[in-house]
Order: sequence, then C-alpha cells, then structure tokens
Amino acid sequence: MKPKVAFFDFAGCEGDQLQVANLEEELLTLLGQVEVVAFREVMKEHNDNYEIAFIEGSCTRLQDEDRLKQIRKNAKIVVAIGSCAAIGGINSLRNYKDLESVKKTVYGENAKLFDSYAARPIDAIIPVDAYVYGCPIDREDFLHVVKSLLLGKKPETPTYPVCVECKKNENICAFERGQFCVGPVTRAGCNSCCVNEGTICWGCRGFVDNPNENAHKEVLIKYGFTVDEAIGKFKLYFGWQEAKR
Amino acid sequence: MKVISKEDFKDFVNALIKDDSRHVIGVKARGNKFAFGTLESADELRLDYDVTLLPPKKYFFPQRETLFTYDLADGFSTKNPEDAKPMLIIGVHPYDIVALLHMDEIFRDTKSDPYYFKKRESSIIIGVNIQKMSKWNFSSFMGCSVIDYGYDLMLTDLGNRYGINVGSSKGEALLLKYAKNIMPALARDIQIAGQKKQEVWKMVQQKLDFPAELIPELLGASYSRSGFWESHSEKCLACGSCVLVCPTCYCFDVKDNPDLTLEQGERIRTWDGCLLEDFAKIASGENFRATRPTRYRHRYFKKGKYLFDRFGFVSCVGCGRCSSNCLPDIANPVNLFNDMYHEIRNSGMQMPSSATHPEVSISTEGNIDYVPELGTIIKKVPMTAYETLFEIRLDDGSELGHKPGQFVEVSVFGIGEAPISISSSPTKKKTFELCVRKLGNVTTRMHNLDVGAKVGIRGPFGNGFDVESLKGKDLLFVAGGLGIAPLRSLFNFVLDRRKDYGRVTLLYGCKEPKEMLFGEELALLASRDDVEFKSTVNWCPENELWSGNIGVITTLIPLVEFDPEKTTTILCGPPVMYKFVIAELKSRNVPDENIIMSLERRMKCGVGKCGHCQINQIYVCKDGPVFNYSKIKGVPEAL
Amino acid sequence: MKNQNIEVAVHHVTRVEGHGNIYVNIQKGVVEKCEWSIPEAPRFFEAMVEGRSWNELHHITSRICGICSIGHSLASLKATEAAMGLTISEQDIKLRKLALHGENLQSHILHLGFLVLPDLMGVGSVIPLASTNLPEVKTVLRLHRLANEMSNLVCGRTTHPQRLIPGGFSKIPTIKELTELRKKLQDSIPSLQAVAELFKSLVDKFPKFRRETEFIALTDPNEYALYDGLIASSDTGTAPAREYLAFANEYVVPRSTAKWAKHVRESYMVGALARLNINYKRLSPMARETSDKFNLLPMCHNPFMNNIAQLVEVVHGFEDSIRLINELEAAGLQSQPEYYKPEIKVKAGQGVGAVEVPRGILFHDYTYNAKGVCTKANCIIPTNQNHANIELDMKALLPQVIDKSQKEIELTLEMLVRAYDPCISCSTHAVKVNFT
Repeated sequence: MKPKVAFFDFAGCEGDQLQVANLEEELLTLLGQVEVVAFREVMKEHNDNYEIAFIEGSCTRLQDEDRLKQIRKNAKIVVAIGSCAAIGGINSLRNYKDLESVKKTVYGENAKLFDSYAARPIDAIIPVDAYVYGCPIDREDFLHVVKSLLLGKKPETPTYPVCVECKKNENICAFERGQFCVGPVTRAGCNSCCVNEGTICWGCRGFVDNPNENAHKEVLIKYGFTVDEAIGKFKLYFGWQEAKR
Repeated sequence: MKVISKEDFKDFVNALIKDDSRHVIGVKARGNKFAFGTLESADELRLDYDVTLLPPKKYFFPQRETLFTYDLADGFSTKNPEDAKPMLIIGVHPYDIVALLHMDEIFRDTKSDPYYFKKRESSIIIGVNIQKMSKWNFSSFMGCSVIDYGYDLMLTDLGNRYGINVGSSKGEALLLKYAKNIMPALARDIQIAGQKKQEVWKMVQQKLDFPAELIPELLGASYSRSGFWESHSEKCLACGSCVLVCPTCYCFDVKDNPDLTLEQGERIRTWDGCLLEDFAKIASGENFRATRPTRYRHRYFKKGKYLFDRFGFVSCVGCGRCSSNCLPDIANPVNLFNDMYHEIRNSGMQMPSSATHPEVSISTEGNIDYVPELGTIIKKVPMTAYETLFEIRLDDGSELGHKPGQFVEVSVFGIGEAPISISSSPTKKKTFELCVRKLGNVTTRMHNLDVGAKVGIRGPFGNGFDVESLKGKDLLFVAGGLGIAPLRSLFNFVLDRRKDYGRVTLLYGCKEPKEMLFGEELALLASRDDVEFKSTVNWCPENELWSGNIGVITTLIPLVEFDPEKTTTILCGPPVMYKFVIAELKSRNVPDENIIMSLERRMKCGVGKCGHCQINQIYVCKDGPVFNYSKIKGVPEAL
Repeated sequence: MKNQNIEVAVHHVTRVEGHGNIYVNIQKGVVEKCEWSIPEAPRFFEAMVEGRSWNELHHITSRICGICSIGHSLASLKATEAAMGLTISEQDIKLRKLALHGENLQSHILHLGFLVLPDLMGVGSVIPLASTNLPEVKTVLRLHRLANEMSNLVCGRTTHPQRLIPGGFSKIPTIKELTELRKKLQDSIPSLQAVAELFKSLVDKFPKFRRETEFIALTDPNEYALYDGLIASSDTGTAPAREYLAFANEYVVPRSTAKWAKHVRESYMVGALARLNINYKRLSPMARETSDKFNLLPMCHNPFMNNIAQLVEVVHGFEDSIRLINELEAAGLQSQPEYYKPEIKVKAGQGVGAVEVPRGILFHDYTYNAKGVCTKANCIIPTNQNHANIELDMKALLPQVIDKSQKEIELTLEMLVRAYDPCISCSTHAVKVNFT
C-alpha cells in the first residue's frame, strides 16, 4: 500500500516544492512509491486523508497556526522542507526589523494586512518528525528523507559542520581566500555545494546542534572581520535559532 | 642514482599520459595552493610545491567508496565494485610516503583490507624530495622529510635535471619502457643531491623543543591533566578539519544507500573523524566521548600513544596540514607537545632520556570480508515489548562457528548494519540465536521482518570468552538487563559441558518484571540442582506479579556464597552497572584477574579499522568485547 | 442556463505558484461581484535588505522566488552594478543570457507541461497523465531536465544560483561542458517539435477571448530582449530602465496583500505574450515559424495565448542558447581563477536593474551609501503588474460564459489565471505601503 502524501506551503518562495518537481524522471519513480493526494501547486484534487505531510515555508501570522495544527492532526508524519519551515529561513531576517517598518506603515482598516509576527519555523507551532534543511533543499537530501520514511527508518542528518564536506571536496577554505564563511557552525548535508561553486557557506541549513559560536566569532576576528559583521551574517539564516539560544 | 634532463622527464610523463594504461596523477597548482589531480599534460606538474590540500591517501582510501551493491529483487545478490585503472602518482613528498607506509601496516593489522590493498598494490609511486616547505611542516622532527624506501622512483631536483633513485623493479621497468636518455649519476650529481636533502632541515619553520621519540611518554603522563585538555580545546569547532586532511587518519563510517525503488542499493564507506560530535554515539543515545576535551585528547593519544604502543611508530608525519586547516589554530601538534613538555618539566617530573620502544608483532590472516553472507530468519519469539529472539540459519548451510561472547554484524539491506551479540551457544549447531532490542533503525526494521525473511550476516567478530581457561573454575555470572543476551551464549555452553566446570551461579537483574528476558528458560534453571539462579528487579509496579528479590543487582551478590580465589566472575550489563558490581566484588576480595566483562561500544566494521568502538587504544570489536578487568582497569575511558 | 444564481469561490487556486482566490457572485444572470484577491503572506523583502551589504543583496532577493531566482539575482546584480558603476565583460553577459534562457525554459516547460496541459486534457494534474500519456510526460520531463542542466552548468543551481555574483561569476563552465550542452540542445529539437504538435492539437480548447490592453516588456533592436533593453509600452513607446516608476505605478488594494499596478490604462499585461507582441520580429527563425503556425502574431489581446507565447519562447530559448554557445566558442572562452570574486570599488549610488523573467518584466531599484550598505530598495514584480489585468479580464470574460454550469465557469476562470502563470509569493514580497 503506497503511503499517501501531501504538500503544503506557507510563507516561502516555493523553491523547495520546485525542487521536488525538479526530480525529473525520478518523479515518476517517486510516484510509484507514494500516492500524492494534495499538492496545490501541481494538482487540482485535494484530499485530507494523508499520512505524510511535507510543509514548506515559515509561519508568519496567527492564521497560519490553525492551518498548521490541522495538518498536524491529519498527518502521521510531518516533514519540514526547506530552511523557512525548518529553521525560519531568510524570512527571519525581518524579525529584527518588524517593529520599525510596521510602525511606519500600519494604518487603519488595512491593519489586517499586517497580521504578521516574527517569522518562525513550523516546529514553533507543531511537533515535526523530520527535516529537510537547506535553501533550497537538495534533491538527494529530500529523497534520502523520503526513502528513510518509506523504510521506517529515522532519517540521518549530520550533526557536524559543512567544513567536513568542504575538506572532503578539497576546497580551498573561504577564510584563506579572505572571505567570511559561516560553514564552521552550519549543519552539513549539502555537500558544501556553495563553496564548490566558488563562493562561501551562507548558513542556510541552520546551526549544528552544538555550535561553538564563541570560537567561531574569535576566528572571524582573527581573520579581520568585526563582531558586527559576524552578528550581521548570523542574522541571515540563524535569526530564529539565535534568538532561542 | 640515475639522472634525466628535465626535458626528457617531461617527455617521460607525457608518454605515460598518452599510453592511457594507467591513471596518471600528479601535483597541480590550484591558485596559490596545490593538489593531486589527473594530469592531462606534463606541463601541469608542479614538483616544486610545498604541500597538497589533501594527501595522496584519497586515492587508496577514497572519501567515498562503494563496498558492494545489492539487489533484493535478484535473490539478494551482491556485487563488488568494478576495478578501476591502476594509478601512477607523481610528486609524493617523503612524509606522505611514510604516511602510506603507516596506512599499509594499519590496514593489514590482523586482517587485510582488500579495497585498500588492491589499489595500493597496483599503483606506482614516484616521489620527489622536498623543494619548498610550508611554514607548518615539521616532518624533519618526525624523521619523515627524507627517506630511502617506500617509492618506486624518487626524484631530486638538481637544477636542469632530476636525480632518480630506483626503489623497486616496477620503477626500473617504468623507466625502461617510457624514459629516454637516462644517464648514470656523476659524482657532482650525488653530492648536489646529498646537499639538497640536508637543506631540507633549514626549511623547517616549526620547532619541537624536545626529541620527538619522547612524545608517547609525555602523553602517558598527561592523560589526566584535564585542565590542560580543556584549555587547549576550548576553541574547538568540532569541524573535523584536522583529521580529514591528515595523511594517517583512517576512521570511516559505513552506510547503506538504497535507490528510490528500495530494491537496489549500495553499501558505502565514507571518511569519518573522531573529533566529530557523534563519532562515539550509539543507538541508545549514549555518547562515549561527548565533550570537546575528551575528543580533542583522543586524537593526540591515538596518533602519539595508542598507535605507537601497537605499531611502534608515532602516527604523525609532520606534514602540517592539520595546523594549516585549523581555523582557531589549536591543532598544531608542535604547539601542543611543546606546551605539554614544558608543563611536565615545570611540574618537576623527570623526563626520560630516551624512549622505550614496544614489542611489535602484527600478523595478517586473510582479508576482511565487508560483504555479508545471507541468512534466513527461521524463528521469531517476542520476549518483551522491546526484545525479540531471532533464530537464524545461514543460507549456504554452514555453521556460524562462533565462540561464546562473540557478535555478528546483522545487515538489513537498505537500512544498514548493526552489531548484535550472539545469544546461543556454539554447541547448538546448524542455527544461532540473536536477542535483538528494538532501538535504532536496523533493529526496528528487524522486528518488522517475518519468519522466512533474509538478513545479511558478517562475522563472528570479537575475541569471545576464553572457555578453556574457565575449565574447572567456579563461575559466577552477573547479568543486568540486556546483558543476559551475550552471557547466555557462554552460560548455555557451560551447561552443555557441565562436567567441565565447578559451581555455576547466575545472578540476573532487570528494572522491572516485564523486562525479564528468557523467562521460561530461566524458570527451568530454578529447578536444576547443579545451578544456582537468583533474579531481582529494581522495582515492581503494582499491576505486575513478582515474588522474588527487589533491589538492584548488587543486592544479590551478598546472598551468594563463593570462594573469591576459585571463582571467575563474568559480567555484562548497561555501562552504569559495572562500577557498582565491581565494587561489590572487590569488597568480597575477588582478585582483578577473576573478573571478566563484556563491553559495548559503537561498532561499524567489526574488524578494528573504522575507529568508532575505540576505548583509548583498545578496539572493542577486535581486542574485546570480552575483557579481563585487570587489563582494562587502568584504561580511563573503559568504565 | 440563463439567468442563474451562481457563486464561484475558489480558495487557493491550484496549479499556480502562490495563493490566490477567485470570487464571483452572479445573481439572476447579472454579475454582482467579481474579484481576484491575494491572501498570500507578505514577506517584507524590501525592508529586509535595508542595512545589508552590497555583496549580500543578490543572495537575499534571490529568495523572493524559487522559480525565477535566476531572474531576481540578475535584476538585483544589475541594480547593484548600476549603482556602483560596474561594467560586465561581454563573456559574462553572454553567460548571463544563457542563465536566463535556462530559467525561462525550465519555468515555461514546467508551466505548460504540469500546470496547463492537465486542463487541456481534462484531468486534475499531470499525475494521471503519467499513466495515460507516458511518452508525452517523459518528453516534458526530459526537456525540463535539460533546462535545469543548463542552469546548473551556468549558475551552479536553478533555484538560488550560487555562481551569480556582483561583477560576474564565481565559477564558469568549461568550453567542453558548453559544447556538450549544445549537442544536447540540438538533439532535443525533435522533442520540442513534438510538444508543439501536441499543443497545436489542443489549442482550440482555449476560449477565443479578446480584451484590448496595454503590453509592457523590455525591447532591444538586435535581439529578443530578456537580459537587457529599454522598457517598451505598446501604447507609449520606450524609455530607459531607470524611469520604471513612470510605467509601473503600484497601488494598494484592500483585499490583496500584493500591490497592483497601472500605466496609461486601468491595467496592463507583462509576460510572454507582452514580449512577443512587442518583439515578434526578433524571435529566432524556428520560433517565428512556430508562432506563425499558431497564428500568434502581434497584436494579440487574448490572454490565453500567453501559454502559446511561452511555447514560442521555449523554441526561441533553445535556438538562441545554441547561438550564444557558438559565439562563446568562436571568441574562445577566457578562463578565470577558481573562487573568483571581482574587486569592486564600493561607492554610494542608486541603480535600477530591469530583466525579463518568465512571467514578465522585473525591476530592482537599490540605493547604497558610501559604505556599500543598502539604504532603500524597491522591487516591482511582474505578477504585481498583472493582477489588475487578471481581474479586468475576468470581468470581461464572465459574460461570455455566464450561461454555462458552475463547474465550467470555475474552470474557465482558473484557466484564465493559469494562463498568466502568476508567481504570487513573489508579488507579496513586500509590504511597504505609503498611504495618502
């Protein structure tokens, strides 16, 4: 019996769901293993009888909470896909700005437009069973989680930083190139794809479980970056996680 | 020594590349760094480099390697990976050659790793003497900056020509086939080459303040200096860089990677590192090296003491890669060892004038088998909510041939492998039993398999109990919780050969009655008069029936009369149990050597290679899991 | 049925990107209410980039959209480069054009194959088509994969491309990789033709609807403009990109978290149809042929034909990419160092980047201080510019279908929305509203 799966999206760019569509021919193989009963972006039909729910996007307003709770009720397994759903993602950048911009612009009856609060990952509202980190998610990583769920296995997520993958890929460290990299405190699992493409790690997969932030900050200062620059970089993706620590 | 002009050497390399029978690899520039890579032309070769990003070990022990592929649809068949083209690597520095020699000995310790050696034996190494040194390099202090062995050919830069030392018949044949205008060396060539090699010492920018041969002694005196390790590891990011770029590191992880059909897949091994947080974590969540200082210390001890004690070499060649890659700059062995040396000297301790070298005897008996055999589940008996007893028969009809106390690695293809102690005695022929607790991925899946389902079996592994030495003795078994499972293999063996042993007592404790394993069997024991059996539970919930002792396992020991000199005590249980049981036994004057225990750790390869089960210098999967207390009581991480 | 009472309430239209609602109330055959509204959560991007550095903006704004992230990155980079007075090498411009083609191809093929085709085949999604029409679905997947391979090769990744950086590329493909890609593009032409044939057989299922509207797109005298050009309006003519505010006048609509826009009429349209209407003469030969086969010639005012315009652009994209690779090969590909990061002299300034993304013309406008920190940002998304047109089209289309069943009316309106290929989460990128 193929398990029934459903896709949902909240405040996000839909890039993670696109990655699922980007499975190309493997999508057909995937469809041989699961039955998709709801995927608004791709199909008209919608059925609330599903076992696995994949959720993309952050929760950014009160009305999202009810939708999330309903999905949690319907599903046996909830998977957060993408940084926005898993850790708050780039949406959490504005958590630091919220008050200011809202103050300037909230007005009268349009206040409902601003039914908006600090962007948060979905596990701030409902318990989540598995995560596919990344902005966007890596297709292989997504398939790994799907395969694990189909096999009744707890998906393995690295607890070590991106440096491990960078070293295996024989990259030249960003710090040696005079650039600022958040890799040493970011969760691996992406195969250091951004450094492989010639840039740096921006931290889209969120913190490792026990980041040694102080050590990392000292490293940044040692390489000539300022604490403000460090704090600024950490806000890009770690906004919600930082606030919680 | 022979001599070849640089022009002719280029032609030699281009001829090798053109020939295409070998994968020609050399040192190439990467910006202002260097790395080994496939050569498209001799022009790319940069023999004047200082150090490569990754050492040449990546060719013999790759970052990711397929051990075998499996196909469940095709009768669970497995296939070994295809052979790759043999390699020819040009430009290996002496310290990296020594590192390969280290790896050779490590990978053939006890059993030989076929994947490593296939590549190693078919490849050709052309070394080059150091022309430039990175500022982190201290290989001269480690005796690795100049060598006269370990290569097929060795080049020395003499200006407009290279001196070539032939190191093997393979090297000789290579020159004959592909090189032109090889001349014998002239006296001036010999002298210049000699001078160049001496000049290498002048290039060293690091300074070790004491003779490197004292490193193991220094470490031996520093294990418990926790303040030292804490302060040195404070800035550790647990990023693993130091171990991943190291030419002598060889720890690896093994995983199953199914494809989306879930029918086919592969088992792979990948580089792992003891500095990473979860390296020593097991399915129950227990992490045997959970803190930064303990992991940080372990790396230095493994390199500088444990491998020294076993192989006689300090497993560090001084390449400096760890130092240059450590962002917070805490990985430089020179700094650490110097700090250690000065701290010990200042503490007034006497430093020995020379090192004591260990007795080294490494033997190799056959290849490691990474590919499992197939077995079928022929019986499945749930015993508690979490534990089920499986009876398994090997498909080819052969006996497992195990010793009591050994374990097997059970594969559920696509999920992975898990180490499970063998719970039945070898006197029970044709099949063997495993008591499996549902805890992680593999064990959970196993619980969902039906009778008739297939599993993969590797092993038996481990040293097992020395049944010969136990003959004639009185035996006191102390089992806690799931610890009864491995003890049962010995216990039933003893019962099958009852005459060979003296008094036999079994003490068994569980948290509560419903967790008792082998309930029916144990009930039968109570009716035997040649065995004493006592059981206890920590507590008994209201809805359960229990008429026996209530209290932790140690409360049973005073209830047993035994002669401490004549009795061998055999323990197995959760980590927390050992301390208390041993204390109780010691209070009864049981000598250390009369206490035997079976320990658990995170096991992957089962053959003492991947590094996960290490307790200090001991590989639990190979040197254990059965240990005599007298041998490990001094081992800090053991209990 | 004449004079019926019908309520059509489509909550979260399916097979579009983002969340949009259609609400129609017909009483006794008269349209009482017809609304297109956006309930999508606003995301505050324009506020988020304030205070961030010039070398971060493209990374952040790429996250406005998962489907047009290459386009957002490029518009963002162009704005930053314009503000700092940077020029990009010819080679990098060609590579950026290839990148945009990759994005356009991926998006259009996904849209046509996954989101539009099901309506034409009478099914709810592409999933049942995988059983009934497997060869066609496989062809679509194959073409889609090739488009992604192209983006991966040039940009590193289709979604949130890493290689696009201020001043150029952090890494470029080798000429071998490009020529291998070219061969794959050439070998795919028959598949393209098969897809065109398939749509030709189904095109009559689109309503024959016409409502005159203004079209706005980039234009260039020498090529079918996607990466660069002047802003062109079918009503008023051309202007440089930095004058975009004169064209795209955004305003707030109470029921919509996304802003709407207008120019000289009540609404205007952007996207493939707009581009084709304005730049038809600069389509590649095969694309022109395809367009002619469908009788799609300027000026076409049937929004449903936006779908066919996308199909024509797919053909153009393949042919033009082959041309670009030919040019790169002829000029010889200049290599660059690994991990390339161009030296940029940071200075204060303001710059506008305009780029055509699959759904239409996109503007990014940044102001930087002397330290290269962004003090103000404005982004105008294609779909914002289409929202007004969508609603007006719905209102004009309704009388044509008012006597049909509820289900048919619903489907027709949904197909209308889908024809625009809206990217709704993009359009709710910002809430920075000035009330007067």
